[in-house]
Amino acid sequence: MLAVPTEYYLALSAILFTIGVIGVLIKRNPIVIFMCIELMLNAVNLTFIAFGRHFAQINGQMYVIFVMAVAAAEVTVGLGIIVAVFRTKDTIDVDEVNLLKF
Amino acid sequence: MNGASHIASSLSAILPILILMGTACVALMGDVFIWKRQRALTGIVALIGSVWALVVNLQQILGYGSSEPFSGSLVYDSLSQTTSLVLLIATVLSVLLAITYLRNRGLELGEYHVLLLFSASGAMLMGAANDLIMLFIGIEVLSVALYVLAGIARTEERSEEAAIKYFLLGAFASGFLLYGIALVYGATGTTNLQQINHLFSAKASITPILVAGIGLLIVGLGFKAALVPFHQWTPDVYEGAPTSVTAFMAAAAKVGAFAAFLRIMNAFMPVQPAWITAIQVLAILTMVFGNLLAVVQDNVKRMLAYSSIAHAGYVLVAVASTGMIYRHAVLYLSQGDRAAMFYLLAYVFMTVGAFGVLVLLSRSGKDYQTMNDLKGLARTHPFAAYTMMFFMLSLGGIPPTMGFLGKWLIFNAAISAHQVTLAIVMALASVVGIYYYLRVVWMMCFQEPEGAPATEHPVNDWAARWSVIVSLAGTLMFGVLPALLSPIMTGLYH
Repeated sequence: MLAVPTEYYLALSAILFTIGVIGVLIKRNPIVIFMCIELMLNAVNLTFIAFGRHFAQINGQMYVIFVMAVAAAEVTVGLGIIVAVFRTKDTIDVDEVNLLKF
Repeated sequence: MNGASHIASSLSAILPILILMGTACVALMGDVFIWKRQRALTGIVALIGSVWALVVNLQQILGYGSSEPFSGSLVYDSLSQTTSLVLLIATVLSVLLAITYLRNRGLELGEYHVLLLFSASGAMLMGAANDLIMLFIGIEVLSVALYVLAGIARTEERSEEAAIKYFLLGAFASGFLLYGIALVYGATGTTNLQQINHLFSAKASITPILVAGIGLLIVGLGFKAALVPFHQWTPDVYEGAPTSVTAFMAAAAKVGAFAAFLRIMNAFMPVQPAWITAIQVLAILTMVFGNLLAVVQDNVKRMLAYSSIAHAGYVLVAVASTGMIYRHAVLYLSQGDRAAMFYLLAYVFMTVGAFGVLVLLSRSGKDYQTMNDLKGLARTHPFAAYTMMFFMLSLGGIPPTMGFLGKWLIFNAAISAHQVTLAIVMALASVVGIYYYLRVVWMMCFQEPEGAPATEHPVNDWAARWSVIVSLAGTLMFGVLPALLSPIMTGLYH
């Protein structure tokens, strides 16, 4: 059986993480921004699993469970805040909310 | 040690955190099911719980124990106990402020105090984390509750805007922090900070993946601690969030982030060349830009936000001069760590006090926010004006206040750690800082009030008044008699 080298997984997760970062910086809809943040977190999960396999440890996979639980909590709060913003402003576009002045 | 006694000793080591979490659950259930219409009771319960946790924490400090609960994923030592002490003081003061502020603004929501307690327990977990994953959990418990708190005034556009800004940038930053943790895990094969320290003490090998990991950790924590150039969210969020939330956010999030900074940087002490330059550059940028941008602000809350950025820069100088020593498995805090903890306590008293005065001035009709609102305050609200004056003098670092002493300790620590450039930049930046703090004093004491004095109904604001008085007492007492803190912060662990 041909094993995929760890470096391949790391490269893939680095690319996914970068796509997520770029998405956060250029997108204007907070829901899409939030999806990009989730992409970043899942890229990190891939890194954890790849390293866990590399070291033959169970830790890497455990960390992913932690991260997924925390991400779920963040989604709940985040979507709630987005709904609250929509109720007060009737828009969620970040330019209208005057956001992210990088 | 068998399993049951290990768990029992682990639980007793984190008792203050458990008390806060337990109180939060009781307050939540009570608010929903028992005292449905008596919203003020939730605040009282939260106050009792946090004072109780503070007492237990003081007992632990005077008990001089140290252990590693939960198989080494947490650590219970002088640093975590002192962090808990600073955080619990901030929590008690913030709960007091909130009781008055929520009543004045008609926002009496039980969940406010519940979220505040959860958030504080997250920050305490950060101070006690001995494992990078525990650190991540702590930072998220702290932040997720703070996102909601920032938007707690549901009908106000500014509050909601602050919440969504804080949420999006905070989640973005945790992505970086997490990637940093993953890379450090890859470089070392463990996330336990003590094991990382032992590993590098045996063989200090700096690999690109380690440098990238540490860099991303610094970026992630830098967002939370509001360091320049990761500070853009700070003024907007501090201004938009309700004032009592801003007071807590400015205190707790920063203390938690710096406790984590001290832990991480001490674990990576053997590979100091990999990170010291980054910390130095960030400290200089933060001190210079924090102070310069604060000068041009007309809104007091915004000014205090930039001032909190500048103070983060001063604490970062202490982080750059850190270097804890493990001797016989007991942690000895270095001069830099002790200076950082002393300064964080001073910062909590000054900042919560200054925001507390703004809370005291807020009435349902009017929110005191701009410099013009403060004109002639000494005549219309003498108590608020004169307490504010002391907080401004302390923030500016003028003796005999705690702010001065904290700066002096950090300056000394930086000199003895050979960080001379940082010490000089710090001294120069503080001089700029004095200008905008004294401007507030000048507005309050030497300007005529604008417009006709508004007729105000006398309101019952005992809670905020006590919070301000305690902050003032701390600022002055420990500024004159720092020896009072010595069993806790200075002499003992040396």
